[in-house]
Amino acid sequence: MCKVRVDAEDVEVEAGLEETILEALRRCGYAYRWGCRRGGCGVCKVDLLQGEVDYRRNVSELVLSATERDGGVALSCRARPRGDVTIRLRDERLKKCYGILAT
Amino acid sequence: MSVMRLGYVHVRVTDLEEAKSHYGNTMGLLEVANEGNKVFYKGWDEYDHHSVVLEEGGVGLVKLGYKVSESSDLDDIEIKATRFGATVERMAKGDNLSVGDGLRITLPSDHVVEIYHEIEYLGTETGRINPDPWPRFRRGVGAPRIDHALITVEEPALVERFFADVMSFMVSERVIVSNENPEVIGSWMYCAGTPHDIAFIKGPNGKLHHFAFALESWSDVLHAGDIFAMDDVPVDVGPTRHGITRGQTIYYFDPSGNRNEVFTGGYLTFPDFPSITWTADQLAKGIFYISRELNERFTSVLT
Repeated sequence: MCKVRVDAEDVEVEAGLEETILEALRRCGYAYRWGCRRGGCGVCKVDLLQGEVDYRRNVSELVLSATERDGGVALSCRARPRGDVTIRLRDERLKKCYGILAT
Repeated sequence: MSVMRLGYVHVRVTDLEEAKSHYGNTMGLLEVANEGNKVFYKGWDEYDHHSVVLEEGGVGLVKLGYKVSESSDLDDIEIKATRFGATVERMAKGDNLSVGDGLRITLPSDHVVEIYHEIEYLGTETGRINPDPWPRFRRGVGAPRIDHALITVEEPALVERFFADVMSFMVSERVIVSNENPEVIGSWMYCAGTPHDIAFIKGPNGKLHHFAFALESWSDVLHAGDIFAMDDVPVDVGPTRHGITRGQTIYYFDPSGNRNEVFTGGYLTFPDFPSITWTADQLAKGIFYISRELNERFTSVLT
């Protein structure tokens, strides 16, 4: 298991080996801006402040350019943490969606 | 002359195997051919060779194909498109698998539209002699056919004029800024007696918002939704109803993030159909009649 920490939020979740950053946060009841969840639109891009990610599935250069990858941008619906990571959301706060169901 | 219908949608997909699983197993399209990095599909109720082409590499729209009723329509459209100022070239039989001679037109919005008259006839799954209403063994959604596409364009009024002047499409519905400011920010146009065979909304040139499959009924839309849950397909919006077209719908994403729609219902159009107007302040109701809310995703996710 790797830890996904969200910078500027007091939030840290664990991600399974096959889980992406977005899947791990969604499973724990968190939400932020995402689009197709299939790597096609780029809406869920986050900044990777620490750690490494990889992509099990193809990601189009049209969506995430090599320059962006090198500059620490991650496509969170497709990026799997390889070890603990810290990400920063872009111009938004993480939302806790389960509300009263949250434990 | 007449354009009869949207004949094919050709899109890019990042992973061909995942896309084949979606369009084959989930949508229930029939694979009719493959050629290099392309796979060709048709719905069970379509008689022409193919209606969906998947090409591996990237995301988004490669082109739309519209079928005309007479070969002389090609000459007529070529003249009109040239006069309009669009980029037109002749395409030859074989440029597209099973498709005959035709035109390849680049719209003012950079989208590519192909016009053709001939394509190989394969027939439907139920045949033409004493047919059953549907084939006994459908997979997943079991989509019978494609319906329309919605693209984004910087100048909707210009693209509307192209489809009206060159393709002889008519406007079924239009969104304008306000009664005082009639700038067009969206237009829905038909050639085939449907509410729309093409639609465009204001946005970046060259992008695909979605393409749609026609289903027979509202209960088929719900059935499609169940299939999306079973196959973990990300749903954008729905099931709900559109104000514009009155159709019933679910929007969802293919494995590359291209937005698809299952669509049913809507009214009939005729050559004398009087265009309907929506004002931008009522746009959310026009798009999603029941919730009257546009989500951010709906207006920001394009491929």
